[in-house]
Amino acid sequence: MNVQSPQFLTIKGDDPAGLGTGPVPAGPYYRADYFELEREAIFRRTWLQIGHVCELPEAGSFIVRELEVAKASILITRGKDGALRAFHNVCTHRGTQLVAETEGKRSSFTCRYHAWTFGSDGALRSAPDMERFYVEPKDCGLPKIAVDSCAGLIFVNLDPAPKQSLREFLGPLAEELETLPVAKATTFAEYVYEIDANWKLTYDNFQENYHLRFIHPRSGKAAGGEGNPFGYPTRFGFHGPHRTQTIWSNPAPDILPVQGFAFGKAFQFVAEAGFAQAPNNREYFALFPNFFLLGSPGQHFSHTVYPISATRSRGVIRLWWIGPDDSASKRFAREYAMASAKDIHSEDRAVIEAGQRGLSSGALQHIHFQSQEVLCRHLMHAVDQAVEAYKAERAGGAQ
Amino acid sequence: MSSSESALPPGFETLEPFVAGWAFDRAEARARARRASSEAERVAFFEAAQPLLAPGLAYLDQKPLDQFDARETRLMQLLLSFAHVAMAVEILGEDEPKHAEDARHIIITRAPSEA
Repeated sequence: MNVQSPQFLTIKGDDPAGLGTGPVPAGPYYRADYFELEREAIFRRTWLQIGHVCELPEAGSFIVRELEVAKASILITRGKDGALRAFHNVCTHRGTQLVAETEGKRSSFTCRYHAWTFGSDGALRSAPDMERFYVEPKDCGLPKIAVDSCAGLIFVNLDPAPKQSLREFLGPLAEELETLPVAKATTFAEYVYEIDANWKLTYDNFQENYHLRFIHPRSGKAAGGEGNPFGYPTRFGFHGPHRTQTIWSNPAPDILPVQGFAFGKAFQFVAEAGFAQAPNNREYFALFPNFFLLGSPGQHFSHTVYPISATRSRGVIRLWWIGPDDSASKRFAREYAMASAKDIHSEDRAVIEAGQRGLSSGALQHIHFQSQEVLCRHLMHAVDQAVEAYKAERAGGAQ
Repeated sequence: MSSSESALPPGFETLEPFVAGWAFDRAEARARARRASSEAERVAFFEAAQPLLAPGLAYLDQKPLDQFDARETRLMQLLLSFAHVAMAVEILGEDEPKHAEDARHIIITRAPSEA
């Protein structure tokens, strides 16, 4: 190697995001009344990542996803015309949940209660004894939800009239996301956990590296190194409510034999797919409110933290892959990449729950973020901005 | 046992004792086998399989995955379980029992290796 590794320099400045340096109120991390405000101010009116186009490969493909924070079950379909559509998974007759499966392929959906039947375009196709109703079938389509995709990732917005398109919401990040393997992904590995913790507390764990050496001394050993023992990032970026960072590349990671063999295989396949020198390989993209994606093509994973209640959440991690396993070596490299990422995530859950127990006790009025935890501060700031705007809007509407 | 009765392709007979405990078609079953194993079981499998990892993949790479016979499928599944066990033995070492306690809360719901 004739490329000299630059010396790591901690990002300068006490206040990289321009958000101040003061303590942060603890209440939003456990209070049920604040969670109710987030539900309305954010989750019922923001673009939320919910799936990927590879889950709906052909006309008639569908997925159903539960979004507890919005108290909604969402049906996403691909129609004969190839278009993605999203609906509330609710029969328009008397509200029965329409589809029980989580995925499949069908050209129509029949309610088990009275056999109302809907097409993948959401239109009511038939209903037994329809002439006895006092409403026209054309007025009984499934309730629509705004849906769009970027980089293969499917987003929904429960606002009946979203104030921004998905592209407007993502801004310049849309173009960067399109450069990532996820934009071409055809398959994925997935693992899921539930956790007794607030969604922000959970999410914050994954946007600061300060904890790595304490919680992941073995599994995350390569993240830190000489000159940068905490493995701090080399860059932060702030983009409206979204944020990015550039992950430091340890020039001399301590790699073990099987680990080196497996990641060597993975890198070979990354190179074959043309991503060896891709521009965003060390980038971390955090999309407001609850989704992030790591650009690294060999272990290219996303993590969505779905809120369930003020103190309970569900994490869904997916490792994205282009093309099927087409050799034993590729299959092994992918399994190893998943097992390796999962090991690190397994170690985080217990300490996040311990944090929730402490916060939920009400013992603290405030918590503290250091300068290298600025992404956590930025999320709380973006959440509170949305909550305050919602409260002002509600107060204005009441006048 | 003659090679025609062997559970694994020729050259990989030393892994036969591990088939019953480590060859599974679901990724979560492989992760679960790791969590449920004793240190002695993990180390025995790791030490037997590590020298056969590169030769095993080279052998299997000669054929498309969908043309594997039962013995080749078993060898593939053993090498996939080895990916999980290598985390425990090579990286976590004595921390593995604590790790297993945390890991049982995270469930693999889908993997391309199950296709």
